[in-house]
Amino acid sequence: MREFLDMGGYAAFVWPAYAVTFAVIGLNIFWARRALAHARRSALRRLESGNAPP
Amino acid sequence: MNFTWFHRLGSPPYTYALARRLTPWFAWPAALLILAGLWGGLVLAPPDYQQGDGFRIIYVHAPSAWMSLMVYTSMAVAAAVGLIWRIKVAHAAAASCAPIGASFTVAALVTGSLWGQPMWGTYWQWDPRLTSELVLLFLYLGYMGLRAGIEDTQRADRASALLAVVGVINVPIIHYSVTWWNSLHQAPSVMRLAKPTMAASMLVPLLMMLLGFTLLFAALLLVRLRAEILTRERTSSWIREALRA
Amino acid sequence: MATAGAYTQAAAAVPVSALEAVSLALRRDLTLAFRKPAQLLQPLAFFALVTMLFPLAISPELSQLRAVAPGALWAAALLASLLALEFLFRDDALDGTLEQYALSGQSLTALLCAKTLAHWLLTGLPLACMAPFAALALGAPSAALSGIVASVLLGSITLSLIGSIGAALTLNIKRSSALLSLLTLPLSLPVLIFGARATQVAISGGALIAPLELLAALAVLALTLAPLAAAAAVRISLE
Repeated sequence: MREFLDMGGYAAFVWPAYAVTFAVIGLNIFWARRALAHARRSALRRLESGNAPP
Repeated sequence: MNFTWFHRLGSPPYTYALARRLTPWFAWPAALLILAGLWGGLVLAPPDYQQGDGFRIIYVHAPSAWMSLMVYTSMAVAAAVGLIWRIKVAHAAAASCAPIGASFTVAALVTGSLWGQPMWGTYWQWDPRLTSELVLLFLYLGYMGLRAGIEDTQRADRASALLAVVGVINVPIIHYSVTWWNSLHQAPSVMRLAKPTMAASMLVPLLMMLLGFTLLFAALLLVRLRAEILTRERTSSWIREALRA
Repeated sequence: MATAGAYTQAAAAVPVSALEAVSLALRRDLTLAFRKPAQLLQPLAFFALVTMLFPLAISPELSQLRAVAPGALWAAALLASLLALEFLFRDDALDGTLEQYALSGQSLTALLCAKTLAHWLLTGLPLACMAPFAALALGAPSAALSGIVASVLLGSITLSLIGSIGAALTLNIKRSSALLSLLTLPLSLPVLIFGARATQVAISGGALIAPLELLAALAVLALTLAPLAAAAAVRISLE
């Protein structure tokens, strides 16, 4: 296990690289879902406010 | 050849519903492939005889770099479709691609830089690949900047679409000139990993990661596309029914 | 009666051949530009200033400057041509002339080509004339000067053409100079690379024909494609 974490001495480079990549993946998922939720909320609010056409 | 599917995709309500149904079919396989690729790449694959365990960065760097290029190409294709056939959904798709592609370009640059330090002894090297990635980041930023600068949605769509198409034509030219410039100055060896002779145990996880990231892009695109369509079509009558679902 | 007839005659459309239209546009731009000579000098002054930054920032020794001369010269030229791009379409977009060009029934591509040519004559060509002085200031040997002028001449054509696309896309955006640079610089990188290479070969006294041919190839490519893209961009911006 320690060997695995040590990555043959390259731990300081390998793990940050993985961390950054998965942070980017996580952020993308978060932003995409947030964009959709925001869009849904806005559209619902608009419909509820009675300004929308029938 | 029946092109009904193409014209159907141009209809926002149709594509909205389709995107909603398809997302899990891309998201879950993506998650599985990425996890499997991680396991294969971090645990199962043997260390490289030259780079030791440091080579494992390839399992995040190569997919990120692949994403940055593939997403830009997809964005340009969607933009071209939007320009030629005047399909709003295509423009919405192109807009959805940009932030995804830009963030993975940053990931490619950071992971490439982290890979460079143990391999070349420096965090940054002006090798053709990294330099081209950096230029690609600027192309993304320019695209997003142009979109943000134009208020009218339709004009922003068409202007940024033209920019994307001009950009995609330039990417090979820029890459060629950077490679040529680099070869002149005899920079240290490009990040090679003896690709043809890469062992299957190393290659398979890489392919899984590449495919997993691609499916992830599809899932992310579908989610963002729905958000875009909702925002653009919020005055349309089909929204009420779609939101109820 | 006579006045009415003359008025009608003047209002009737006078068919103009494409060549006449292009030369009219060219002459118009040149005439208008020469009414404001100060505006013409600004990019050149900027070029001189940027060139001056390098000795002050690096070292006054010509031998050291010679090593960075190609890059410094071309960076300065690139930035100066970016600055000059603002003048390409701005005035015509503001007073509606560009719209008239688009509606005129003449080929917008050809008219924009004429405008870009005028712009190059007013900025790129003077830049190429100033380049040997800047090169000398950065330590280049006098034998290199003709090659440097040739490279800047060819490169500036491409820079003007590529710049016209970005300028057309950002027509209606206020305070767009940073965005214009962001759009234009990545596309101009090949010119920078080949131009700096040509300058370096000129300084070291090598065979200049190959890099110049590359620059010429870029110019030809830009000449065929850029006006089309610029015309499309203008139409989009004027929608």
